[in-house]
Amino acid sequence: MFQAKLKRLFTPRSIAVIGASETFEKLGYHVMKSLIKGNYRGSIYPVNPNLKTVWGIKSYSSVLDIDGPIDLAIIVVPARTVPELLDQCGKKGVNGAVLITAGYREIEQDEGRILEEEIRRISKRYEIPIIGPNTFGFVNLTDKINASFTFEFSLIKEGGLTLVSQSGGFCHLIGFLAIEERMGMAKLMSLGNRVNVDFPEAIRYFLEEDEATKVVALYIEGIDEPRRLFETIEKARKKKPIIAYKAGRNEKGDAESRFHTGSLAGNYRIWKGAFRQWGIVEVMDSLELIDTAKVIDTCPPMMGNRIAVLSGQAGPGIIAADALEKEGLKLSVFSGNTQKKIDELLPPLAIRTNPVDMGPAWYSPQTILNILKVVSEDEGTDGILFINMFASANLKLLSEMDRILKEIEPFKKPVIACLCAPAGIWDEEIKDIDGKNGIAVIRTPERAAKAMANLYKVYRMSE
Amino acid sequence: MGDLLLGIEALQFLKEEGFSVLESRIAKEEEEAVRIAKEIGFPITLKISSKRVLHKTEIGGVRTGIIDEGGVRKNFNDLLEQLFISIGKECVEGIIVQESGKGFELTVGIYEDSQFGKVIMFGQGGIYVEALADVTFRLLPIKRKDAKSMIEELSISKALFSPRQNYANLKSVEDFLIKVSDLTMRRPEIKELDLNPVFLAENMKICDARIKLGK
Repeated sequence: MFQAKLKRLFTPRSIAVIGASETFEKLGYHVMKSLIKGNYRGSIYPVNPNLKTVWGIKSYSSVLDIDGPIDLAIIVVPARTVPELLDQCGKKGVNGAVLITAGYREIEQDEGRILEEEIRRISKRYEIPIIGPNTFGFVNLTDKINASFTFEFSLIKEGGLTLVSQSGGFCHLIGFLAIEERMGMAKLMSLGNRVNVDFPEAIRYFLEEDEATKVVALYIEGIDEPRRLFETIEKARKKKPIIAYKAGRNEKGDAESRFHTGSLAGNYRIWKGAFRQWGIVEVMDSLELIDTAKVIDTCPPMMGNRIAVLSGQAGPGIIAADALEKEGLKLSVFSGNTQKKIDELLPPLAIRTNPVDMGPAWYSPQTILNILKVVSEDEGTDGILFINMFASANLKLLSEMDRILKEIEPFKKPVIACLCAPAGIWDEEIKDIDGKNGIAVIRTPERAAKAMANLYKVYRMSE
Repeated sequence: MGDLLLGIEALQFLKEEGFSVLESRIAKEEEEAVRIAKEIGFPITLKISSKRVLHKTEIGGVRTGIIDEGGVRKNFNDLLEQLFISIGKECVEGIIVQESGKGFELTVGIYEDSQFGKVIMFGQGGIYVEALADVTFRLLPIKRKDAKSMIEELSISKALFSPRQNYANLKSVEDFLIKVSDLTMRRPEIKELDLNPVFLAENMKICDARIKLGK
């Protein structure tokens, strides 16, 4: 029942905005903007007793005055007024709520804690799933539902990553990085104070119910019942790759136990072990999260650790070889047949064994793609790192490559492309190639190596 | 608070649960120590036995590599004298005569975390456990794949399973970790367990242990 309501909450056919506003300084203004400018296709019911219309839509003085059913109420009013309004939602039969309002147990005064208890009681009485309080909301990019106070999340490309975060700020960080890095997302949400929707409830929905979610990323600060999270993951009917970013790594264990072994257990070390135990890939920074999600969402599985480096310039190729080794991957050794084919395609002007110096093929996108194809079929190679820096003379390289890519089959092994150019050059071309035919574009060889290592981890842990 | 099993008592408990432990017996008199040492066979180790002492090495209470009768006599008397001064005669239960451990020193522990519940720790053992912090954790119970990945994660595993160390037996370490996990699940009264060091040679042999039992 609760899970069914949660599903409806994330895909609502009608939304009431309690506290909808026309004043820029109020969050109720921005929630309306997100829904409307974000092209929400369902019905919107603004609730504000002081206005006749909000954003050109008829406004209601209470949620009880609305005729049709309400799948989701977004609440943006002062903390003290929330219990009464939430109770009205219950009476109205509202399916679920996003409680953006802050000022509950996260504040220092007792009043916040007492108010949160009241909200908990009301939500239990009417069995209403609540995201929050103290959240920016959620964004469902798959169905164009921006139920947050930041319209700009709607600019994220639609894709397979879903972020379940304990912090709204982290969603903003990852969301905007995703735009910059052309990372496609399905959903992003902040759990806030987790009154009745915590990591297990949200994760279960995204793993089992949401088809658009291909990879789930978790941002965790600390939770009360971590075992429940891992049990949910273990029991999920569908297995999808999970990435975790754990904050608060330096915190010392509460050392409740002063016994010898206890003194070694900063809580973070246990988290780390548990991630490994349940096959979750831990990332150490924000860009690594984006890059890892991107290769998982874009590329076929990487079934081994042997990588071919094909670089248009020698230096970045050597850097790549170093970076791969540091991440526990290694350079592949081409079979005689593969090497023979490469030798036929490339003149003997540079090194043709792995890492291959593709310099002599600079002006021939067709040759580059032929080599990529030959290497992707090499039985001793599990993944390809293709590198090409911009130079004035190869301006047309990517547009030509993109044209040919449209006509050929996707690569059967992961191809990570490091393509770098000054802003304004290759922007469109990189955008076009990224995600095409199983190719993921990542800006630097070092970042690419890390993402490839994580892609391999996902495969190993799924075995 | 529950019981705390130390030294001989803890080793006996583990032996009854089917673990390999270094042969250890307590001696109250010099002659007894010599007789036990001869029975166990040289080289041997002498250790103090006292509920008052948790970290024996820190107060100089461990003498290793004793190769003959003379060594037993001298070290036995030295240890007793030192103990009478540092903790008082009434607190000394005797001196443990123990078979010498061989191989790598590892450590395995169990304890209860306030959020995660019971967890298992595995790492490089000996007196530098804290300094090296080459340890890894899992929630209990663990499966064989967890035991494997725990071993893989340690820095010391590179040395343990290098081609030069042909006697380090990976399977015996996995078996040991699973056995500790099983024991803790079967005997919930075990609240904490600290095995340090455990010697890894042909198999895993426990040298010293502390066990906290509770309700």
